[in-house]
Amino acid sequence: MKRFPVSFASLLVIALIVAGCKSSSDNSSASNADNASDGKQLRIAVIPKGTSHEFWRSVHFGAEKAAQEIGNVEIVWRGPVEESDTGSQIEVVKDMITMGVDGIALAPNQKGGLVDAVEESIGEGIPVVIFDSGLDEGPEIVSYVATDNFKGGQMAGDAMAKAIGEKGNVILLRYLAGSESTEQRENGYLDALKKYPDITVVSSDQYAGGNATSAKEKVDQLLQLHGETLSGIFAVCEPNANGTLEAIKNAGMAGKIKFIAFDPSDALIQAMKDGHCHGIVLQDPVQMGYQSVITLVDSLNGKSAEAFQSTGEYLATPENMDEEKYQKLLQPETL
Amino acid sequence: MTENQTRRNKLHWLTSFRHGPTLALLAIIALFALLDWQFGSGRFFSPRNARVIVNSAALIAVPALGMTMIIIAGGIDLSAGTALTLSGTALAIAFRDYTIPADQAGAATWIAAALALGLGVGILCGLINGLIISLTEMVPFIVTLGTMTIFLGLGQVIADESTVYPESGHLPDWLRYLCYTGSNSDHYWLGFLHIPSSALIAIVLGLLVAAVMHFTVFGRNVVAIGSNASTARLCGIRVGWTTALVYALAGVFVAVGALLYFANVKNGNPSDGTGKELEIIAAVVLGGGSLSGGRGSVLGTIIGALIIKTISSGCTMLSIPNTYTHIIIGVIIIIAVLIDGLRNGAPKWLFDRLR
Repeated sequence: MKRFPVSFASLLVIALIVAGCKSSSDNSSASNADNASDGKQLRIAVIPKGTSHEFWRSVHFGAEKAAQEIGNVEIVWRGPVEESDTGSQIEVVKDMITMGVDGIALAPNQKGGLVDAVEESIGEGIPVVIFDSGLDEGPEIVSYVATDNFKGGQMAGDAMAKAIGEKGNVILLRYLAGSESTEQRENGYLDALKKYPDITVVSSDQYAGGNATSAKEKVDQLLQLHGETLSGIFAVCEPNANGTLEAIKNAGMAGKIKFIAFDPSDALIQAMKDGHCHGIVLQDPVQMGYQSVITLVDSLNGKSAEAFQSTGEYLATPENMDEEKYQKLLQPETL
Repeated sequence: MTENQTRRNKLHWLTSFRHGPTLALLAIIALFALLDWQFGSGRFFSPRNARVIVNSAALIAVPALGMTMIIIAGGIDLSAGTALTLSGTALAIAFRDYTIPADQAGAATWIAAALALGLGVGILCGLINGLIISLTEMVPFIVTLGTMTIFLGLGQVIADESTVYPESGHLPDWLRYLCYTGSNSDHYWLGFLHIPSSALIAIVLGLLVAAVMHFTVFGRNVVAIGSNASTARLCGIRVGWTTALVYALAGVFVAVGALLYFANVKNGNPSDGTGKELEIIAAVVLGGGSLSGGRGSVLGTIIGALIIKTISSGCTMLSIPNTYTHIIIGVIIIIAVLIDGLRNGAPKWLFDRLR
């Protein structure tokens, strides 16, 4: 019981700090607006879904490139370690608001979970650009900068049709339920295949899960089931595709089954050289980081932007993969 | 006893560590405020940041209150994290499938039912732990290690192995803004005082638990069981019954923690909970809780949660990478336990030499 007073006193101190917030926090948001207009150094927070994936390091590279080009812009790069950690990402957004950055570029982990954090940011006078993956309707964001994933999926569908001679049985291997970007790809793929009456989608309801191991297991099972009559598999993202590739190789069907992937990896590039992979749909992460920062700075200077900006989607095939343009997209620069 | 007494006197200065957690928190705040003022944005020591920190600390502190009781009773609950997200997932499902839009007449009944469901799931999880532990007399560590994965699995089953998104129109405003930290007065419970609602909940629950532990027979029994279960039994305390009750009560706090988690991320993802239990236990330990039982304090736990979140916020403000944040928190936990040991005469070799 003796302990009570000191601890209690310190809690009181903390409570007082919190209590004093009303007036001064209003000041801080007002000063944000000032910073934007008077040409001082701008600070732009770029928040990826996670920090451990190559893709995001390319986004970081693009963001820094934009910052250098504009000059007077500092990039604050911060994200959760795990891509599934929505709570941490919300904390990062709130911390960036506290830091009083001039703008936030965010790749939301979940389309619904980040809505209120983004609304809070806009409420404090900090504009937000969303990149890579969509956000639920609601907050008035500056722009959404991303790959047109539906179109990317359609390109994968057309590439598949071409690879198997426009007829045969194919599989769509899904990623995770609730992931906006991959759902778009899946829908695009199925949409494109409707044009080809001789192509049958024998399986399109299997979710491969978040990593290569779970994807490999799934494909092992699917090959058991459909292997004899199968012509092609489409894997909608990188971890998915790596697992699929392993499973196809294990079954001794590499090259026989046509394989289309989305997003590159070293293993997939090698597979394309070996003739085990027949097409990779590519995004442009460098452009994504670049475009997001440019759009934010433009909006701080009073220019408005398109609601959706596509950063382009490309198809690498064994024929064109050695061209410089595709080499750059297959192995984008990172920071 | 007398030997112990002289030992205490020799190391008189160590008694100042009685307020260890509180002093540590103040020192950490001062340190980061200074560093941030010098090298950072100067926004660390601001009301807004205090709001953000107390909000994220509340997310840990509420389930940690239950954990405090368990640890005082000499137990441990490794399943707290996944039980929390299981309960949160149940809430999300209720708000997706079994409620009507919040602005329609009669919505309150459905919302109350959904909340009751979440609470029920939390209590049930705690009760299962408590019953297994008290009936089988197995070690709590092992039992809850088992239930940890069971709750994770159950969560994945009811969520269909994915994330559950509720209908956003079905969420009442008060729930939406439980974790609000912006500057719009309308979204706070106390319009004149900007304290996040989540923190208010944590404070009220903290006072309740402190009252129960200090002023009720039940509270005294819990301490007795944690200090020495056999003696407690000899004194006529119903050890099994009390243990089961402690875990079930902890389930209440896990469920309220789940409500805050749900209000924060607005969806239910059962696998989010893995790792949370360690943060919760760390808060209790930082606050002076002893894993050998019999000791722990509610205020200490709340301060422990604040310490963890202050460090992680400070590191963000100073642009220290995530990875280092983890290392710093780990080091501080070990130092805290070490100091706690010094207070109680461990390590023995050091005290023998000083004598």
